Amino acid sequence: MTNTIYDVTHESDVIMLVGSNPEHAHPVIGMQIRQAVEKGTRLIVADPREIDLAKKADIHLKLRPGTNVAFANGMMHIIIEEGLTDETFIKERTENFEAMKEAVKEYTPERVAEICGIDPDLLREAARMYATADRAPILYCLGVTEHHTGTEGVMSLSNLAMMVGKIGRPGCGVNPIRGQNNVQGACDMGAAPNQFPGYQNIVAPGIVEKFEKAWNTKLNPNVGIKATDCFPKMITGEIKGLFIFGEDPVRTDPNTSHVIHALESLDFFVVDELFMTETAKLADVILPGRSYTEKEGTFTNTERRVQRVRKAVEIAGETRPDTWIFTEIMNRMGYPQPHLTPAEIMDEISSVTPSFGGISHARLDSEEVAGRGLQWPCPNPEHPGTPIMHVGKFARGLGYFRPAEYKPSMELPDETYPLVLMTGRILYHYNACAMTDKTEGINQIASESFIEVNNEDAKKLGIADGEMVAVSSRRGRIKVKASVSGKTREGECWMPFHYIEGGANWLTNDALDGISSTPEYKVCAVRVEKLS
Amino acid sequence: MINLKIDGIQAEVQEGTTILEAARSVGIRIPTLCYLKEVNEIGSCRLCVVEVEGMDKLPTSCNTLVKEGMVVQTMSERVVEARKMVLDLLLSNHHRGCFYCPQNGSCELQDVCNEYGIEETSYLGTRKKIERPAKDSHPFLSYQPELCIHCQRCVNTCAKMTGRHAITLGKTGMFNIIEAPFGEDWDMTLCESCGNCAQACPTGAITEKRKKKYRTWETKKVRTTCPHCATGCQLDLIVKDNRIVDVEGADGPSNHGLLCVKGRSASFDFVDSPERIRYPLIKNKETGEFERATWDEALDLVAGKFTEIRNNYGGEALAGFACSRSTNEDVYMLQKMVRTAFQSNNTDNCARV
Amino acid sequence: MSKIFLADPKSCDVKIGRLLEKFETKVKVYPPGTCPLTVQLSLLTASKNQTCGKCVPCRDGLPQLETLLKSILEGDATMETLEHMRRLATMIRDTADCAIGYQSAIEVLQGLDTFREEYESHIKDHVCPGEMGQKVPCINLCPAHVDIPAYIALIGEEDYAGAINMIRKDNPLPTACAMICEHPCEQRCRRNLIDDSINIRGLKKYAVDQIAADKVAVPKANKSTGKKVAVIGGGPAGMTAAYFLGLMGHKVTIFERQKALGGMLRYGIPNYRFPKDRLDEDIRAILSAGDIEVKYEAKIGTEIPIEEIHKEYDAMFVAIGAQAGKRLRLEGSDAGNVESAVEMLDRIGNGNIPDYTGKNVVVIGGGNVAMDAARSAVRCNAEDVRIVYRRRQDDMTALDTEIESAVMEGIELLTLKSPKSIEKDAEGNCSALIVQPQMIGPYDRAGRPSPVDAKKDPERIPCEVILIAVGQDIVSRPFEEFGMEAERGVFKAGLDTAVENLPGVFVGGDCATGPATAIRAIAAGKVAAHNIDEYLGYHHKLNCEATVPSPKENNRIPTGRANITERPAYERKHDFEHVENPYTHEEAMQEAGRCLRCDHFGCGVLKGGRDE
Repeated sequence: MTNTIYDVTHESDVIMLVGSNPEHAHPVIGMQIRQAVEKGTRLIVADPREIDLAKKADIHLKLRPGTNVAFANGMMHIIIEEGLTDETFIKERTENFEAMKEAVKEYTPERVAEICGIDPDLLREAARMYATADRAPILYCLGVTEHHTGTEGVMSLSNLAMMVGKIGRPGCGVNPIRGQNNVQGACDMGAAPNQFPGYQNIVAPGIVEKFEKAWNTKLNPNVGIKATDCFPKMITGEIKGLFIFGEDPVRTDPNTSHVIHALESLDFFVVDELFMTETAKLADVILPGRSYTEKEGTFTNTERRVQRVRKAVEIAGETRPDTWIFTEIMNRMGYPQPHLTPAEIMDEISSVTPSFGGISHARLDSEEVAGRGLQWPCPNPEHPGTPIMHVGKFARGLGYFRPAEYKPSMELPDETYPLVLMTGRILYHYNACAMTDKTEGINQIASESFIEVNNEDAKKLGIADGEMVAVSSRRGRIKVKASVSGKTREGECWMPFHYIEGGANWLTNDALDGISSTPEYKVCAVRVEKLS
Repeated sequence: MINLKIDGIQAEVQEGTTILEAARSVGIRIPTLCYLKEVNEIGSCRLCVVEVEGMDKLPTSCNTLVKEGMVVQTMSERVVEARKMVLDLLLSNHHRGCFYCPQNGSCELQDVCNEYGIEETSYLGTRKKIERPAKDSHPFLSYQPELCIHCQRCVNTCAKMTGRHAITLGKTGMFNIIEAPFGEDWDMTLCESCGNCAQACPTGAITEKRKKKYRTWETKKVRTTCPHCATGCQLDLIVKDNRIVDVEGADGPSNHGLLCVKGRSASFDFVDSPERIRYPLIKNKETGEFERATWDEALDLVAGKFTEIRNNYGGEALAGFACSRSTNEDVYMLQKMVRTAFQSNNTDNCARV
Repeated sequence: MSKIFLADPKSCDVKIGRLLEKFETKVKVYPPGTCPLTVQLSLLTASKNQTCGKCVPCRDGLPQLETLLKSILEGDATMETLEHMRRLATMIRDTADCAIGYQSAIEVLQGLDTFREEYESHIKDHVCPGEMGQKVPCINLCPAHVDIPAYIALIGEEDYAGAINMIRKDNPLPTACAMICEHPCEQRCRRNLIDDSINIRGLKKYAVDQIAADKVAVPKANKSTGKKVAVIGGGPAGMTAAYFLGLMGHKVTIFERQKALGGMLRYGIPNYRFPKDRLDEDIRAILSAGDIEVKYEAKIGTEIPIEEIHKEYDAMFVAIGAQAGKRLRLEGSDAGNVESAVEMLDRIGNGNIPDYTGKNVVVIGGGNVAMDAARSAVRCNAEDVRIVYRRRQDDMTALDTEIESAVMEGIELLTLKSPKSIEKDAEGNCSALIVQPQMIGPYDRAGRPSPVDAKKDPERIPCEVILIAVGQDIVSRPFEEFGMEAERGVFKAGLDTAVENLPGVFVGGDCATGPATAIRAIAAGKVAAHNIDEYLGYHHKLNCEATVPSPKENNRIPTGRANITERPAYERKHDFEHVENPYTHEEAMQEAGRCLRCDHFGCGVLKGGRDE
């Protein structure tokens, strides 16, 4: 997020929520958005589903799934046409605006309305409401990113915010609400094939050398392969050994059959896990790691805020801190890595990562920070952290307008698979449920998977609410309970991805975003059938 | 700035400050029950009354703003008498079975009654006959009307903090009743099971059911960050005898004391779950079954196999994925392991999935 | 998908409205003689039931106060209960958030003080103290305790002479009361529980309209006792005393300052409200009751010494009224054409009608005299008449019907204007009244909101005549010198009208109460007559000459109250003729038929229920 949660929910006049259902996926943010709306903040929701917040929204744009780029371009078209742009901001802070202007020329409200399946007047009203608000953040989530054009969707939203100067100010910004607790931190920490910690690019001059010096060893200078691109390479044998720390791709990655096939093709497969997950079952060795309550450390939340995790208990058995496991493997593979405490590891992180330069456990525990964490960039121990990004100047200097064209989703419905399937989270579970399904009460509340089917589709298929149905795609077939309502539009259905029984990812498409390699979880074509 | 005198102490506070906050700023504690800053300032319990020179009534300090030159007495005879009578009245409709009450030891009513020496009530309660049965069908939450002091902290927490409005105020004759959504139809209500109401309740009226399994004085709190989504809510793990028995929301910068159902109720049962893997396991190639191994056996096997692949096919034949739910320190060391020991940049995390 | 809605006419709040009206009536007609603690309990229960349930003191405290009070009424309390109530009520008063809580507590605290004796009696003896017990409301609330249900029943039977005699049993001025009585008897009429109070004055007027009072023979007087009683003042009090004393057989001499009897009835109340020829009907009947002599233009205290009368007569009743108009101490109040309203009305009563043609008249004051003066000024052909009053219209002491009639006759009410000075022209006559605008402020000790300076510029009201109606004084000085005690001019007397240190001297009417109503003066005259009779050593009983008809079944069908109508304002304001129209026979019969005969049903047959 460019801004803080507090700032976007307490200091904004209009909130534009795109492809995000925070009441379920980020409930405490959802609560604060509800608070804001009740106190008078206007709300624009762009989402294919009738989520609860849509009912509270001033405008709900029920976009057809996979049409975010067209929607953003349409908004920009209207803003330019009606002269609602922030000329000073564009002139002083950005470049390539002319190309942007040219690119959205064809995206008239009528054309966009046609693509997105919405009313052009609603789009106009949304554009005016957003553009003319003094403070208006864009909040988005996986409904924007989990498409094969996800990166373009994100850029389009950034274009939109820059065009009206709503960046680098309180109550504004372009704010991805990141998914997992430490997905921000995992990216920051360099668990990425092309970047060292702090987004230091492998191919940038001097970076490999810098880390070779810091770590006192020779490093592989070639950019690596993204996780999602690894699976095909396991099948072809290019990748032979895999270490997975705490992930469950069998459950969370698209096209489950394909994932299983890939993992089974490995020569040697190690998993560091808490539980016997579907993925762990395929491993050669399982190393018992520790949960967040059994170790010291930090998480970085979606607002780039580094906060402490503290050890509360020790459980019976021979589990080991995960950093101990990695250190042991390093040493046993010939890299001399001394055993460090988490605090010492953070000191090393801050020594090699400029944006973490001022972050240490000692400081996070200090009275100065007072339990409020530190938001990176925090380059030195005197720096208070950065609540709002891009104030006065973008990280890259001038903000670059990067026009994008609308491209339809990879797999569109056809005669055989006539319905669009979207996936997402529900309130009561988290991802693969490894943690949440150990709580009895949670299972009592949300025990099984379901598929939301539109009333009209259900009528045509002769399906009643609560009935078990078969859902199939080109990749698999599952049985799941139907939840019939008007929540999705006709021709569209939706499923949570948490469950293994009736799991959505048996069906989802492993088509990837061209830039980020994020799978297109949000759109695939399926067929729903009545079980006789 | 406004200048006033509280119990003889000179205080200087911002305009718009309440007497209660002004008193706190100079270290004077005024007892409260219904007060929750910015959430419940309705002054329903009247416990925080004070005496102000020149005022006939005893104003409630929680929602009376300071005025220049005010002279306030927080413990005058009149004030103490009024507080005692308030507690006497409250106790008349409160079931005093503290022995069985899950809130025993962390009950605000109990604390303040002890402070003012009120052990019994001089009245016969007037609500008993009208009060309806307890609502405790919800998997996590329960409402015991006979413990409720009708302060409305839960109602306003649900309405103003969570914005959910799942707890409403009902009426029976002259009495308000708390319509807690934990009855048999709990799954048909607006309730999101977040339990912020239970955390807001000053007595044992609304509680997380697990609260019965421990007493507050047996526990310690460990402040940490929620392990589920990326909101980064701060929470306190409640630990009894090396086991986490509960969770409380803490006042973090992104959650302001709030938690969701996962953070409050699904963030600790898994820790010591019987399903945890507690020993290194190596798969027997013959049987396909996992067998317990020593750490040395497991680590040597892992290091040996990866070294072999690295040496035979190059580091690029190896990959290591980090977990987006683990700590920064873990992730850093994982990628360091992949880059230094594996000699590979095939490292990634689950950001995309 | 509607979001907001209009108020639902079927909602409880709407439906409750009717119920609340009933509740209001129920409270309004609380029967006289009710135990004050039960009223306190009703009030407390109502208070408790009004709590919104938010705050502890009100929500939990009021029910406990109610329980404590109930325990007192149930004979289950000690003196500590009283103390407990006081402590709890004090806490509620001090800490409650809104008026539902603190005002209820204040009422309890006030009740604890006001009804201390009653509380203690209930706690110690478990009974109401003294003469508690319900009474027939109309009879009880009439100061003269006229047997109202009886005469209404007689009217219902078309026995108008019987009705007049029934009235005269307690009040020898049936015509006066038919015309101008303020009818306190109607206040708690039980008929309110069904629809509205009985129009008692209207029925009485119907009776005297059917047969003049002087055409109904008064009861036969007793044989002469030979005792002589002096009555000083021939107003309603004096005439009443004279009537009853005459019937008892005493020789009565009325000393009247004016040329004719009637007092304020003649010289204060204008003809259009009470025609003089109708007053004469009552007077003729009174004078026919035994041996009554009238000495007109008798100036007692100046020309005739009081001591002389005291010496010459066996007993003396002082009923000199409150006849002198109060003065206003204003700059310029000595200007020409500034006079007191009482003087102006007196002149008119003497047949001397002023000519205000083309003149602007300002009347200062808000009582009934101000209305009488203003409406008389209209009839004296004034160009414009305005009433200047320093409080609000709501605070005026005049009857609402009088104010309404005045306004209909074109009189403008200039409220919240306090007279500041009077401007004079070259000849020394008034040319304008200068007033200081006021705003209404806090309540005074008597419980009325008092006006305060509104901090606005003074205003000028041009006028050629100013009539001052700010109250009346009693010419008490000579009587005080004689030995009667007075406080600020008002004579002191016991409830039996006897003057404490002067045996044989009795006093009553306006001079013993300050300016009040005719019926209170009549009551004083009646009480004085009976006590003088006792003083003289007799226990006379008087005949009524009419019997109470047996009651018919209650008519329970809600029926509207037949009000008395007036002649149209455009017509009536040009003359001094009576403004009221007579009842039709049908109206009178319907009205009489509404009477619930509380003298027979309910408490009326209970021992002590009917005033004897």
